[in-house]
Amino acid sequence: MLGFFILAVLVTVGALGVILLREPVHAALALVGIMVLFLFVIMLLNVKETPAPTRFPWLRPTAYVVGLGLAATVILTALMEPQQLPSLQVIGAALNGGAPAEIGEIIFTDYVLAFQLVGILLLTGIIGAVSLVQRIPVPASGADA
Amino acid sequence: MVPTEYYVLLSALLFTIGAVGVLIRRSAILVFLSIELMLNAANLALVAFSRQWSAAGAQTALSGQGAVFIILAIAAAEVAVGLGILVALFRNRASTDVDLLAEVRY
Repeated sequence: MLGFFILAVLVTVGALGVILLREPVHAALALVGIMVLFLFVIMLLNVKETPAPTRFPWLRPTAYVVGLGLAATVILTALMEPQQLPSLQVIGAALNGGAPAEIGEIIFTDYVLAFQLVGILLLTGIIGAVSLVQRIPVPASGADA
Repeated sequence: MVPTEYYVLLSALLFTIGAVGVLIRRSAILVFLSIELMLNAANLALVAFSRQWSAAGAQTALSGQGAVFIILAIAAAEVAVGLGILVALFRNRASTDVDLLAEVRY
């Protein structure tokens, strides 16, 4: 229980860091898990949060209001019908300790179609990413469309 | 035993932070990071529900975790393509400020 709260606070602080820190590299570092690829691109592009005045000055206050509304809605929905959890033993037995073998069995039986589709999707994603970033030898000037 | 409601509340909080981040950040790459935050908030809720459902039997219980596995793979593909688009965009404009991309809608 205590561990959950410590981790919850850490995760929340990290999430706030992602959206509030000025320096993009710091923001990416706050999102510990999947930051490596983002760090590459941030360094490649030398991204800076632009100091130029925004064209949409009303957006930031609106965003905070929308965020508060969204938080209230989702939290109310989450608390709408609290139900009793089954005991730890029942859960542990059903999850089989969350062993990789059990999860693998689910993935390769019930989810096998989704698994194959994910494979195709990843391949398509790789090809798409490579074709997007490759340099075209003759830069087509004014080809915006 | 941490109640499922706590996990769902944490997930809701993270999702909200991600949504606000999408709206207030102007660098496209940080908007992208915020989207990742929202994806992972949804994953947290799925895993929590998977635990909640586990009383119904192992099949139902673990399918939530299977779904999370597939979402993670899809998120990886999304990151690859999205960052590719960002790099291509940066080459054209030397900026990733989303405010300057208004003409993309035409």
